[in-house]
Amino acid sequence: MIDFDAVLQAFTLLFSSFSPWLVVIPGIVIGLLFGAIPGLQISMAMAIFLPMTLYMDFMQAMLFLTAIFTGGTFGSGVPAILMNIPGTSSAIATAFDGYPMARKGKHNQALGMALGASAFGVLIGYIILFVLIKPISLLVLKIGPAEMFAVILWGMTLIASLSGAYMIKGLIAGFSGLLIGTIGFNETGVLRGTLGSEYLLDGVSVVPAMMGMFAASELLRLVNTKYLVENESARKVNIKLIIKGFFDAFNYPVVLIRGSIIGVFVGAVPGVGSSVSNLLSYIETKRRDPNPESFGQGNPKGVIASESANSTSEAGSMATLLALGIPGGGATAVMLAAFSMHNITGGPQFVREQTDVVYAIIFANFGQVFLLIALALLCLPILANVVRVPMNYLIPSVLALAVFGAFGLVGNMSGPITVLIFAVIGWLFKRYNYSVPATVIGILLGGMAESSMLHTLQISGGQFSYVFDRPITLAIIVLLVVSLFGSKLMDLLTKRSIKN
Amino acid sequence: MNFKKIVLADIAVLAALSLFTSWYLWEAWGASNSVENLIFILPIAVLTLLMCTLELIKQLFSDLVEANKPTESMLSVLPVIILFAVYVLSLEWVGFDVGTVLFVASFLFLQGERRVVWLIAYSLVFGIVVALFFSNMLPYPMPMTFIATDY
Repeated sequence: MIDFDAVLQAFTLLFSSFSPWLVVIPGIVIGLLFGAIPGLQISMAMAIFLPMTLYMDFMQAMLFLTAIFTGGTFGSGVPAILMNIPGTSSAIATAFDGYPMARKGKHNQALGMALGASAFGVLIGYIILFVLIKPISLLVLKIGPAEMFAVILWGMTLIASLSGAYMIKGLIAGFSGLLIGTIGFNETGVLRGTLGSEYLLDGVSVVPAMMGMFAASELLRLVNTKYLVENESARKVNIKLIIKGFFDAFNYPVVLIRGSIIGVFVGAVPGVGSSVSNLLSYIETKRRDPNPESFGQGNPKGVIASESANSTSEAGSMATLLALGIPGGGATAVMLAAFSMHNITGGPQFVREQTDVVYAIIFANFGQVFLLIALALLCLPILANVVRVPMNYLIPSVLALAVFGAFGLVGNMSGPITVLIFAVIGWLFKRYNYSVPATVIGILLGGMAESSMLHTLQISGGQFSYVFDRPITLAIIVLLVVSLFGSKLMDLLTKRSIKN
Repeated sequence: MNFKKIVLADIAVLAALSLFTSWYLWEAWGASNSVENLIFILPIAVLTLLMCTLELIKQLFSDLVEANKPTESMLSVLPVIILFAVYVLSLEWVGFDVGTVLFVASFLFLQGERRVVWLIAYSLVFGIVVALFFSNMLPYPMPMTFIATDY
């Protein structure tokens, strides 16, 4: 599986001169900045700085773009923790427990843990990629809509899990989200629920809706609060606590490893990737925890589960890009553009003939992890000062930032209007105990679920037996059933054996 | 807010969700009643309506109303929602630069900030810096009044 000659050549490529590394530090800083500012996307950063890669050689260009990717993936978790604004859909689950931790005055630890989990995730992800790049790419080729639907179905079970004490209301919220997620054109060209608005032709924009439901609605609820962290003694920024949080993340090795494995394999699935992997990792961690009720209240395992999975997804999406030439999302699509700017075509031939270059990209990411840790530890104490800003200044500033960001994401006024509408819906939902995270998951997965279900129907010709010919689909369904009912079955069996 | 009002408001939210679901199902059905169009929407809409009915029965016959009592007062939040709505809906005409300065200043005033110099300075600096940053970073023009843009 590993070509050791290519490994040596990769080291030569990377370390024969210092020039490839010159672009890594600016790349990580750009990524951190674009990830941490709501509305600025990682793919946007990569697209803006893509022309600069024309003046770099291919290796340098790849290092620069993957550095932006690595920095941005971690950066998007920062506003999720401090302001309940997931910078991208890959940081949704980070907000579930990261923000409650921040409100309890544990913002330093939460940021440190997110960094620890992200660094571990990137490292493990690229190690898995190094060993398994060819098997992963072969596996991705076998993934069709039926498998995608099974993965999405797994994600949808999170809706029930997030419903909490108000189960029926949580399900109503999640199902409504699923319906909202299908607004607009479907795959067969039928238009639904747009009320004649051209803005809704492509459906409701997920990230602005998420900003409205999570952040803006929460800010509306906090108008009478003086500070984000009400306890004055806890309202401090402490680099030692951030570093402690970083190391504390490694106290949960099972959560980290599970998140990383989910991240790399789900991250490799084009179109689903990191948006779903963080949710799956979160749901599995919650489901297997002896105290699942503590999730959503500031359980550090929630932050670690999400961050380890979304960071590892980077390696997963790189696997499909390098080995198949298929971009899994916006960021890898920009990388594909960089490939063509340097007259390189990703795919099996590229992996076979330029294995040294592929390995060099992977090894460079190991180095990037350590640079990310150093740079993030420099930036986080500055960003964490958000908790010291009085709420009467923080609320209008964050609301305005969300509005700018939403315009930036969509490119027209539908973005800010989406934030406004979903802010009000989110506020009403929170007021009357409907689960906001369940709705957001619904909006995110609704369109994906419908498309993959439709493709499965078209390919199978309506024959249910088609599923039985798809071993990966069956395996995912078995895993899903085991994860849903396995622990209950085990409890039942244990009780019976004790009785006997 | 007394309990009756809380129950009514709760039921109103439930009714709004049921109405949305019914309307969306009707709209999707009207667009096309093919299996391809309804394969996902129909079962989810039916499930939603079923859950709404269950919740309605639960609310009508349950005495757990106390737990539903909202924590924040409607009167404190409503002016902020209105201000935010005016800000968002007026952006196309007043521009992101002027709109943001006005929104931040009005919000600070509404929340009791009476140090006029501080209020004006913060809203001006914040509004202009953010508007300049985004207008330069985004690849498409934004509505602005003073900052140069192609919108």
